[in-house]
Amino acid sequence: MSTPLAKILVVDDEAHIVHVVALKLRNAGYEVVTAGDGEEALELALNEHPDLVITDLQMPYMTGVQFCEKLKQHKDLAHVPAIMLTARGYAIAEEDLARTNIRVVLSKPFSPREVLERTKEMLSERNLPDSEQTAA
Amino acid sequence: MAAPRLTVISGMCAALAGAAGSAVGWSVWRAAPVVDPIINASIATVAGSLAVVAIWGPIAIIAQKQFRTFFARLAQNANEGRSEASPAPIWLRPLARAVQAPIAIWSDRTAALRSSVRETQIQHRVAEAERLHVETILHSLRDAVIVTNAFDELTMANTAAARLLGFDSHKAIDCSIDDLIADQELRQMIRNSRSSGIANKQRHVEHAMIDDTDEQGSSRAFDIALVCLPEPSGGCAGVVTILRDITRDKEISQMKSDFVSQASHELRTPLSSINAYVEMLIDGETQDEQSRQEFYQIIKSEADRVSRMVDNMLNISRIEAGIQTAEYSDVDMVEVAEHVIETMTPQAKLKDISLTCRHGPLVYTAEADRDMIHQVIMNLVSNGIKYTPESGRVIVTIENDDASRSILITVADTGLGIPPEVKSRVFEKFFRVENYKRVAKGTGLGLNLVKHIVETVHKGSVGLDSEVGMGSKFFFTIPYTKDDAAMLRKVAA
Repeated sequence: MSTPLAKILVVDDEAHIVHVVALKLRNAGYEVVTAGDGEEALELALNEHPDLVITDLQMPYMTGVQFCEKLKQHKDLAHVPAIMLTARGYAIAEEDLARTNIRVVLSKPFSPREVLERTKEMLSERNLPDSEQTAA
Repeated sequence: MAAPRLTVISGMCAALAGAAGSAVGWSVWRAAPVVDPIINASIATVAGSLAVVAIWGPIAIIAQKQFRTFFARLAQNANEGRSEASPAPIWLRPLARAVQAPIAIWSDRTAALRSSVRETQIQHRVAEAERLHVETILHSLRDAVIVTNAFDELTMANTAAARLLGFDSHKAIDCSIDDLIADQELRQMIRNSRSSGIANKQRHVEHAMIDDTDEQGSSRAFDIALVCLPEPSGGCAGVVTILRDITRDKEISQMKSDFVSQASHELRTPLSSINAYVEMLIDGETQDEQSRQEFYQIIKSEADRVSRMVDNMLNISRIEAGIQTAEYSDVDMVEVAEHVIETMTPQAKLKDISLTCRHGPLVYTAEADRDMIHQVIMNLVSNGIKYTPESGRVIVTIENDDASRSILITVADTGLGIPPEVKSRVFEKFFRVENYKRVAKGTGLGLNLVKHIVETVHKGSVGLDSEVGMGSKFFFTIPYTKDDAAMLRKVAA
């Protein structure tokens, strides 16, 4: 356990969704922090410095896209990639995505398996230790 | 009658004068043979002339009369287009035969001309009636219609066009479109259509214009159809421009599209949970039986949520489409409210909320659909409990409102209250106060259904008083009877 665990921030206003995604990732060995809206998530991100963000689109106070824009504007968090879970994948404009670090958009209903696979891919791209490396 | 009588009198006078002359001449000649032969000769000549006049005068007068009568009849026949021969006196027959053939031709032509004139007059009247019909139809159209000529001058505009573009449809005739139409793009469209010269080809353009009649100067969307009028020699004689206001259609289309988008989003959220939790169970991601039970419970509650949402959507849709038939009976509102309270009490107790019903000693009945009223009170009480913090109060009050001949039911809570800026939107489909989404789950359809059941089905009214942090008071009225509902509707109209 010489290398630290990858830390993932999961944001959704639906508690059940946060719960299931967090459980899937925790079972895979990741460290997970959770938030119920964009404001709370931004505060948490500044304190926790996650390696990856998984966020919903429609949330109170600010949307997932607005949250990710703020992340990118922050120098300490500008490099953090994000996965977006949305029931309205078609509604996100390319230019909005371009202002963020959102790399993957998954449509709801989503598969926790797919979320985990994409998480692994994105973390390996960034050459960060994923759970299996850590376990090894 | 005066002229023939004068002629006869003149004839008689002439005859008398002739007779008198002859008598005088003869007696002079007989009585004075010795008188100067010159005088005798003169007297004889005068007497002779008088005799000639006495004989031929009446004959000439009769002949003249016959002549005039014959030609007058001939002219009348010709004028009236009758080609039959007029009876002529014997002495006039050769002349009559000579003139009757050309006169018959003239008569035929006159008859043909008269018939042609009559036909033209009828055609003119028919055309005038048709023009009036077409004008009436054009003026009664809600679409604005303007017709311009090859010089881009107005030749016709209906009432809707005059109102839309702000001119007098009669005074504006022959005026240039530059003086009549403020919208530069519309003028250009008319010019382009005219110069394209492709007759009868309809072109549709969607165009937004500022509504001059609206004080706020809002923009309205128009579907503009332009048709080039054909000219006999080819080319374009003018342009017919029809402007259809499609603002409302677009709004409805947008509302439908928003509804589908909202509904799909709202349904995807619980479906997403169900899908994810089932997959987790399949993948064996739960370590113990307790976690599995928790998952089953989540799946069940999310499935219930989908079911409620679909029920609500169908109910709203049925009411909106007018196919939801209410089963009217005399409903005791106190009994219904108490039943709702009995059902919801366990839920209220979980948050230590007191749930009570207040009413006077009277009977509170209204002609209504019991199940629907139950649903309305249930939705309002359920919201009250959901958005009221622990140890709060939810009170249902039932009163008679004799002024509006309705039962007034109020559901008041000591909950979060509704921000003033969104008060007007709480009855909209899928609307949820953004910041309260995490406080409680909801479909965003409950209050919309309340509004539909109360207003659309029962012709009552719904309202809301609320202050953030102080609680909310939702109220609705149900007319005592269907007749009262009909009367209230008339008064409102």
